[in-house]
Amino acid sequence: MMKENDKKVGVYICYCGGNISDHVDVEAVRNRVEKMPGVAVAKTNMFMCSDPGQELIIDDLKSGKIDRVVVASCAPSLHETTFRGAIERAGANPFIYEHANIREQVSWVHHGDPATDKATVLISAAAAKARKLKPLEPIRVDAKKHAVVIGGGIAGIKSALEIARNGIEVAIIEKTGSLGGNLNNLGRLAPSGENASDILQEILGKVKAAPSITIHTGCEVTDVQGYVGNFTLDVKGRTDSFKIDTGAIVMATGSVSYQPFEGEFGFGTYPQVITLPTLIEALKQSKYQTETGWFEFGGKPVRNIAMIHCVGSRQIPGIHEPRENGQLNEYCSRTCCSAVLNAANQIKERFAKTRVVDMYRDIRTYGRGQEALYDRASANKVVFMRYEADAMPTVEKSSTPDFPLTVKIKDGLTFNEEMDVPADLVVLATGIEPSDVSGLASAMKLPVGTDRFLLEVHPKLRPVEFPVAGVFLAGTCQAPMDAGEACNAAGAAAAKTCALLSKGVIELDPFVAEVNPDKCQGHGNCVDACIKEGALKLVDVQRGGKTVTQAQVTAAMCLGCGACAAVCPEKAIDLNGWALEQYEDMVDAIVAA
Amino acid sequence: MSSKANKILILATETCAYPGADSVGQAHSSYPANTYILRVKAPVLFPESFYIDCFKKGISGIIVMSCGEECPYEGAYKALADRLNSVYQKMKALNLDLKRLRLTAICTVCNRAFLNEINQMNELVNKLGPPQPA
Repeated sequence: MMKENDKKVGVYICYCGGNISDHVDVEAVRNRVEKMPGVAVAKTNMFMCSDPGQELIIDDLKSGKIDRVVVASCAPSLHETTFRGAIERAGANPFIYEHANIREQVSWVHHGDPATDKATVLISAAAAKARKLKPLEPIRVDAKKHAVVIGGGIAGIKSALEIARNGIEVAIIEKTGSLGGNLNNLGRLAPSGENASDILQEILGKVKAAPSITIHTGCEVTDVQGYVGNFTLDVKGRTDSFKIDTGAIVMATGSVSYQPFEGEFGFGTYPQVITLPTLIEALKQSKYQTETGWFEFGGKPVRNIAMIHCVGSRQIPGIHEPRENGQLNEYCSRTCCSAVLNAANQIKERFAKTRVVDMYRDIRTYGRGQEALYDRASANKVVFMRYEADAMPTVEKSSTPDFPLTVKIKDGLTFNEEMDVPADLVVLATGIEPSDVSGLASAMKLPVGTDRFLLEVHPKLRPVEFPVAGVFLAGTCQAPMDAGEACNAAGAAAAKTCALLSKGVIELDPFVAEVNPDKCQGHGNCVDACIKEGALKLVDVQRGGKTVTQAQVTAAMCLGCGACAAVCPEKAIDLNGWALEQYEDMVDAIVAA
Repeated sequence: MSSKANKILILATETCAYPGADSVGQAHSSYPANTYILRVKAPVLFPESFYIDCFKKGISGIIVMSCGEECPYEGAYKALADRLNSVYQKMKALNLDLKRLRLTAICTVCNRAFLNEINQMNELVNKLGPPQPA
C-alpha cells in the first residue's frame, strides 16, 4: 500500500478569465505551490472547466504523473462534479479529488497580496488533505421498486401517479377516510376559476384506475425502520396493523388551516366572525345567485363583509399572542391574499349588492395570473383598507341595531383615519399551518424548521430531498404553497423517487463512517454518539482466533455526519472523504504558512 | 507571506454556512483575509482536542458556522453545542479567552451575519493576539 508521502498531487489553478487572476497573482501561486511537499505538478489555465483545462488533468493522470487532484477555482458547488467527472474519464477514482475555493472565498473578497497569499494557503491545505484521500467506491444496495407516499392530498396523489406512471408500485397512506386533502374544502381555484372538485374527480379517477397504486385510507404510519431502498413501515389502520416494505418514501403530509383562538378578532365570541375556509364552503353551498342580490350566510342577507388578512400568519413577537406552546407563525402563508381576493370577486360578481371591505397589511398576489385578481377586485369595487401590524383592526359588537358588528380600523390608505366599518360578516383570512407530524419526523430523523414545516436539504442544490437518503417531500408539509406549486413539488419528488429506484440498485455517496478493525477496541462510544439509530452497532467478530467486540457501520444508513469520529478514544472510526485527520493536516498547512 | 499571527479558522457546514460564504463572495463584500474556511459536513465531527490543538498550533480564533437549529442531521446540533461547552471548560483550564471560540448559525444567504461574525472575531483576535495556552 502506498504511503501518503508517496502521493503525487496535481494542482490546477484557474484564472477564471480574470475573475481570479485580476486579484490573485496566479503564476506566483503556482510557483509557490510547485515547491510544496507532495505536489508533483502545478499548472494554470484560463478556464479549468473548459475542455483544454480538463484535458490537463486527464493527461497527467493517464501518464501517471499524478494520482491525486486539487483544482483551485470557483466554489465547489459549481464544478466539483465537473472535475470528478474528468478524473473518472481518465479511468481513475473520482474521490481522489479536493477543491480549493479561490474565487468566491478569495479573489471576490480580498485583493492584492493578501488574496495571493490566502489562495496559496487554501491550496496548500487542499493538497494536504488530498494526500490522505483514498479511492472510494459508491455503496451499492438493492432497492425495492416500490414507493410509499404518506398523505393523500393533491401533492401525495400527484406524486403517486407520476411514480406509478414510471412502472414503480406505490402505496398511498392517508390518515383520513378519503383522498383529496385540503382540495376537498376548496371551491373555485384562483386564478383560473376551475372547480377544485372537478380537478379532484379527474385525478382520483386516474389513481383508482392505476393498478400499481394501492390506497390505504384511515391509516397512519407509526414507525419507519430500515434504509434507502429497503424501508419497512409500520402502519396502523382503524381495525388492524400491518407492515409495508418499500424502497422510498415521499412525505406529503400537508397542512391545516390556522384555527383562530377564542376572541381573536372576535372569533368564537360572535357567530358572525368566520374563517376563510368557512366562507369558501358557504360559497360552494350557496345558490349561484340570490333573488335579493345579497350574499346570504346562515339564512340572513349579508350587506357588508369585512375581510381581515394575515390572521395566524406574519405574527410578530411582542405584538401577537403566542399559542399555549409558545408558537408564533412568523411566516407568510402566501396563498391567503389570492384566496381572499378570489372569494371577494366571487361575492361581488354573484351577489352584486353585498359590499366587501378588504383589510390588509400587505397584499401578496404572487404568481402568474394572480395580480389580475387584485385588479379585478378593484374593478369590482371592493374597498381596500390597510392596517399596520401594531394597530390591528378590532371586532366589536355594534352600538347600533343596524349591524351586528363593527370593525374598527386605522386606515393607512386614508392617512390613518380611524374608521368604524359596520359588518354583517367578518371573514378572517386564516393562514396555513403544517400538519403535526412531529412523531414521525422524530422517528425518521427528518429535520423540522422552527416554523414546524419540514426542511429539505437545500432549496437549490438538493430540492425536495431530506438528508435521510430515500425520503423526499412534496407539498405544503414543506411550506405554504398553492395547489399548482404543490403539484410541481410532487412532480419533483416523484422524479427523484423514480431516478432512485428505477435500476433496482442504488449507488450511495461513499462519505460514510468506516471502522478501522485494527484499532477498534469495542468501547461503543461511537454507537452512543451516533444520531441515526441502526447506522452503527457493536458486533462480535473473529480476530486472530478470538471473539472480539467491534463497531460495525451499516453504510446505507450512515448519514455521514461524523458524530462517531469525535468520540473514539482510539481514533478507530472516521468519516471517509471528510476525515478528522485530514482536517488536522489542513490546519497544519494553514498555520505553517 | 502574510503575518503568521491572528489566523481565524472557520468551520462552515456544506449545506448552510459554506454556501453562505460563497454568497458573500458573489456580493463581492470584502472581509479580512486572515480567515480560512474549511468546508465540513457537520462540525460534530470534531472532538474537544481538535479545538484545543488548533489554539496550541497558533490559530487565534475559531468560528463554528453551523446550520443551527436547521441542521440537516437531526440531533447533531445539540451534540455539537454540548461538545463546545466542554471545549469551553478546557479552554478555561488553559486560561484561553473563551471568546476565541464562537458557535454561530449562518444560512446560505446570511451575508450580513457572516460579515458581522468575522469582523467581531477579527477585532477580538487583533486585541488579544495569538493564543498562549497555559
